[in-house]
Amino acid sequence: MKIGLEVHVQLPTKSKLFCSCSTSAEEPNSSICPTCLGFPGSRPSLNRRALEMGVEIARFLDCKIPEEVWFSRKTYFYPDLPKCFQITQYDSALGTDGTFIVNERTIGIWRAHLEEDPGRIKRVGKAGEEVSLIDYNRSGIPLVEIVTAPDLTSPEEARIFLQELLVELRHIIGTMAGDEQSVRVDANISMDGERVEVKNIQGLRNLEKALKFEASRQSKMVEAGMKVVRETRRYDEVRKVTMSSREKETEEDYGYIGEPDLGTFSVGVIARSLGTTETPLRRAHRMAGHYAVDFGKMRQIVLTSMPLADMFELLAQKVDPEIALAWTLGPISANWSALLPRIDDPVSTALVSIIVQTANREITDSEARRRIDAIASGECPADLSCVVEDGMLDSIIAAFIDEHPQVLRDYSTNPRSANSVIGHVMKVAKGKYNSQEVVEAVKKEIEKRK
Amino acid sequence: MDLEEVKSVARNARLELTEEELREFAKDLEDVLSYFSVLDKAPDIGKHDFNPVPVANVLRDDEVCRDVDAGLLRDSMDTYQDMVRGPKLT
Amino acid sequence: MKGHISTEKLAALNEKYLPFAEFAQELEDLTDYPPKFHFSAKDNICATGFQARAGSRILEGYRPPFDATVVRKMREANGILIGKTNMDEFGFGTFCTNSAFGIPRNPHDVERSCGGSSGGAAAITALLDKHVALAESTGGSISCPASFCGVIGLTPTYGRVSRYGLIDYANSLDKIGLIARTSDDLKRFLPIISGPDKKDPTSIVQPQLQLGGFKVKSVAVPEEAMQNLDPAVRTAFEAALEKLREMGIESHRVSMPSLGFALAAYYVLATSEASTNLARYKGMLFGVRGGHIDQSFNDYFSEVRSANFGKEAKRRVLLGTYTRMVGFRDRYYLKALAVRQLVIKEYNGLMEHNDAILTPTMPFIAPRFSEIARMKPLEVYQADFLTVPPNLTGMPHLSLPCGYHDRMPIGMQLVAPHWEERRLLDVAGRWCSGFDIRFPEVSG
Repeated sequence: MKIGLEVHVQLPTKSKLFCSCSTSAEEPNSSICPTCLGFPGSRPSLNRRALEMGVEIARFLDCKIPEEVWFSRKTYFYPDLPKCFQITQYDSALGTDGTFIVNERTIGIWRAHLEEDPGRIKRVGKAGEEVSLIDYNRSGIPLVEIVTAPDLTSPEEARIFLQELLVELRHIIGTMAGDEQSVRVDANISMDGERVEVKNIQGLRNLEKALKFEASRQSKMVEAGMKVVRETRRYDEVRKVTMSSREKETEEDYGYIGEPDLGTFSVGVIARSLGTTETPLRRAHRMAGHYAVDFGKMRQIVLTSMPLADMFELLAQKVDPEIALAWTLGPISANWSALLPRIDDPVSTALVSIIVQTANREITDSEARRRIDAIASGECPADLSCVVEDGMLDSIIAAFIDEHPQVLRDYSTNPRSANSVIGHVMKVAKGKYNSQEVVEAVKKEIEKRK
Repeated sequence: MDLEEVKSVARNARLELTEEELREFAKDLEDVLSYFSVLDKAPDIGKHDFNPVPVANVLRDDEVCRDVDAGLLRDSMDTYQDMVRGPKLT
Repeated sequence: MKGHISTEKLAALNEKYLPFAEFAQELEDLTDYPPKFHFSAKDNICATGFQARAGSRILEGYRPPFDATVVRKMREANGILIGKTNMDEFGFGTFCTNSAFGIPRNPHDVERSCGGSSGGAAAITALLDKHVALAESTGGSISCPASFCGVIGLTPTYGRVSRYGLIDYANSLDKIGLIARTSDDLKRFLPIISGPDKKDPTSIVQPQLQLGGFKVKSVAVPEEAMQNLDPAVRTAFEAALEKLREMGIESHRVSMPSLGFALAAYYVLATSEASTNLARYKGMLFGVRGGHIDQSFNDYFSEVRSANFGKEAKRRVLLGTYTRMVGFRDRYYLKALAVRQLVIKEYNGLMEHNDAILTPTMPFIAPRFSEIARMKPLEVYQADFLTVPPNLTGMPHLSLPCGYHDRMPIGMQLVAPHWEERRLLDVAGRWCSGFDIRFPEVSG
């Protein structure tokens, strides 16, 4: 089975691609202007940020980026398209010949380009007889279209491809709320023979469903001795089937011409000026290799959040990576939502020192956990003096004695064995308590346990 | 240019032509296109710019602003519950 | 009072010559001008308070909710917009006979065309003292009517004047310019309408407009432009060359072979772009609405378009759709783009040795409507062979009255390098100081 995708991702800009209308609007037709309605006399003007985001994506996909790009008009008639031409890129793309790796397999990326979204059509009435009601808030929203080679081999793989692509894009261009629901895909799928295009699939889940339906439909046809015809189909989300698209009876000749209102853009310069950012999944790959740990676990960490991965790397430089991993995925992950807002130094330093101590057996695991909880719950101030705060003194002593029961045994014959406890506390507390205080607390604890 | 060809171009451009128009335009287009064949003799200097003067890197900052009130635009269109009415999709 | 205008006067002029698609029903008193002045805008230039129909029935009822940048600038400079001038539908024509709102008449002879497509703009300028018109040229639509009506037409460099608010014919060719009665008015109004505008990216790249500092000393006259001329035009033009020599401007005969390709390249580009620009007219968001919204969208769109586009609009949409179709795109559209660059190169080469290029504006004087009716579309297109080349290249050009034949004006056209409008203003000023422009006698 061969599957190729054309993925349309909305770019998270504030304003539209060719006009200054807001990209976020609640009420229908409330974010519209003469330009995105195609009123005679209006004119487009390109959004700098959208172009930069597009170039960042093309570069991330390891595409070849040309020095100069331009836009074209794709002319076709449909009620959601105000000008009846879409400004897109045809014989010019932000990037070509790139790659994206999914589950160790390299998927070819043919091209990535920018284009404007048409309006949103609401179909009203019974199937086949629908009247259209159109909301042009979406008209002119910037999209990047990413076209893959037909390298995907199953609906599942297509879904994972898209899911992972979205993870990476989210990191590169900023959060896109609900991108897994809003992403739109045209998919080409062929079993052995003719290629069928399933257009306008919305959302990650629908992609897999539509492809599964289409794969099974084609298999059944082949089994029944029928020929799969080359055609364009549409996915019906409600009935969960693909249907032959009867709407566009004649194959449109888009008659591409250059868009003369915008000019050209030196994207080569933009690409070279961009800094490098490591995306989550690429980071997971690097960490798995570098620290010799499981990729799946690294993936889990980066997907939780990139600062958690920072935490892991801080730890892995100080303790055995497997220990770092256990603590990262255990107590730190468990407290992550509380820790994340305060994860900067000195909190991260404190967490590292706690785990280094437990790795060095200077404190018990349960004490380390207790301390991490205390930091997370906010009982401790950020400078971590908390670790040895009032009340903490007793627990440090208790934890040490738990781990070193011989102290109790020896004490009855040799009271100086308490010195090992006192020494440990003084080291951990780093001068927070005076020796008199510590000696008394240790004696008290030992007496209690006698 | 035969009538079928004119008809297909007209369909692409969403024009319905009468038989008389089809015949007339077929003749006109024939004349004009045969005149256009002079272009075959022109040297191609390899530059295909879309504008007669260079226009490069004119970009707009990503800022929201509004010149024309959206309500005014909505009022000028045929709407139902603020959605613009369109024809059937079949 | 000289120069006094009233709605009654405009109505009377429109009755006889039809220069307006629509004119102001109430007029502000202009007695305290200057600084106040009156101007008109071609009907494809959007202005609040008026419809903008661009000569097309399909835009009936379109009231743009914004001013074109040029209209805004003229209004801010104390201009009073008195009306929207009649034009060929979307600019598609040479004689202004393709308007949905009647055919304007030449002020010098109502049996003759006032030229197109900015016909109404040239006619009202010839008719109304102290008037200046905002016009627009894609392939000669300022030069041609200025020449036929005996007024001055200035088409600036592509991008010099913002096209924000201009209803597109062909975006890589459209230029807003001026039709005026005096060279002083060109000098006064060109700086007002010029300049970068954020709302039109193609206007941003322009160098600063200069008005002086250049004295034209020589012009080149291409041999190719001197063929197929009406003898009256040839005679008047040659007399003008002599007069220019007396003024200190030498002329040199040159050869410009690429002119032979310019007309075809122009019509390919103009119609390719136009056919995409006209796709938006489908009876939904603005202009006329179709009768039956419950039709299938293809039928609905086709019905509205077929019923409301005029014949020339349909012809150009067909032509432009064809020349950008798969299989023809390379041969026509892409080749035409290359030819444009070739013509630019040749112009620039000639202007290394000459300050400007000079030709007659039109090969004949304003034709009678009866003559126009007998012309085939290709013959009409070919009438533009002198005005098209500078338009194709985006170079600034000027049509000046240079003589008369049977009381009808004859024009000459001067072309300067990109952004060198000052050369045109220089010649306009020198020429007008020694040439008596004849305006038609208008009663009332």
